[in-house]
Amino acid sequence: MITALLIIHGLVAVALLGAITHQTLAVWIPARTHSGSFFDRFRAAPPASFANAIVVLYASSAILGAFVYFYFRVDVMPALERTRRWEALGLLELKEHFAAIGLALLPAYWVCWRQPQVDKCARARAALTAVFGFIVWWAFLVGHVLNNIMGFGS
Amino acid sequence: MTSPPWFRRFAFAYGPVFAVLYVIALMRDLALFTVYPSLRIVLPGTHHSADIVSPSIAFAIPAMYWYGWSATAALGALVVGVVAAFLPERWTQRFSSAWLWVVPVAAMAACIYHTMPWFRLAKILSP
Repeated sequence: MITALLIIHGLVAVALLGAITHQTLAVWIPARTHSGSFFDRFRAAPPASFANAIVVLYASSAILGAFVYFYFRVDVMPALERTRRWEALGLLELKEHFAAIGLALLPAYWVCWRQPQVDKCARARAALTAVFGFIVWWAFLVGHVLNNIMGFGS
Repeated sequence: MTSPPWFRRFAFAYGPVFAVLYVIALMRDLALFTVYPSLRIVLPGTHHSADIVSPSIAFAIPAMYWYGWSATAALGALVVGVVAAFLPERWTQRFSSAWLWVVPVAAMAACIYHTMPWFRLAKILSP
């Protein structure tokens, strides 16, 4: 059961990672021309179209993560403490702090993306998107590293 | 399509206030409740395992504070957000939208500072 939840958490995180990366690049370094390169096509996607999906995926991922974390604390964390993986525990602690702050920012992020494109919220919208991009990448990489330390099913 | 003005005021207050309160809850250890996952119990307030059982066996009863810190911050931010939702538009227009991201980024930096002992521990105790 918990393994299935962890896999679903990972799959949701992959979808979220793709969406936020598209949006962040489209906002910060938008494609000027419709050339045929992969990178140009990647950032040519309309960023506003990702906002609702990112809100749903982030909230889903956070809820799943909060549930998985309950079991992680009992089954995995003591083993990390015994093997003195202090840096891994520190990275995880940062992940949980960043994830909580990001979850609380979701309403503001959603409101910013529902405003007309040209308004005084534009800078905050771009900055919030970058903050979300950082949080999602951090959470994904740390989760991946922690999973690799213990190994699947260990 | 835009969101209702009251929701905009709520959302713009909720996020930054949550970030500030989360850091305060973290630094001051103010969890609304403490979860003991191995015992499957939840106690109101902040409790440390060593306070309720012998310190020699406290390590066997891990406590979780993250849910409690988040709840503390969420409750405080909810109150401020609801108050902000009822404020007149002209009052809230004085606040720059830059606070939306400056405050959370500062809060994240504070979290990094708070987490540094884990990395110092790794350096001290590494063979």
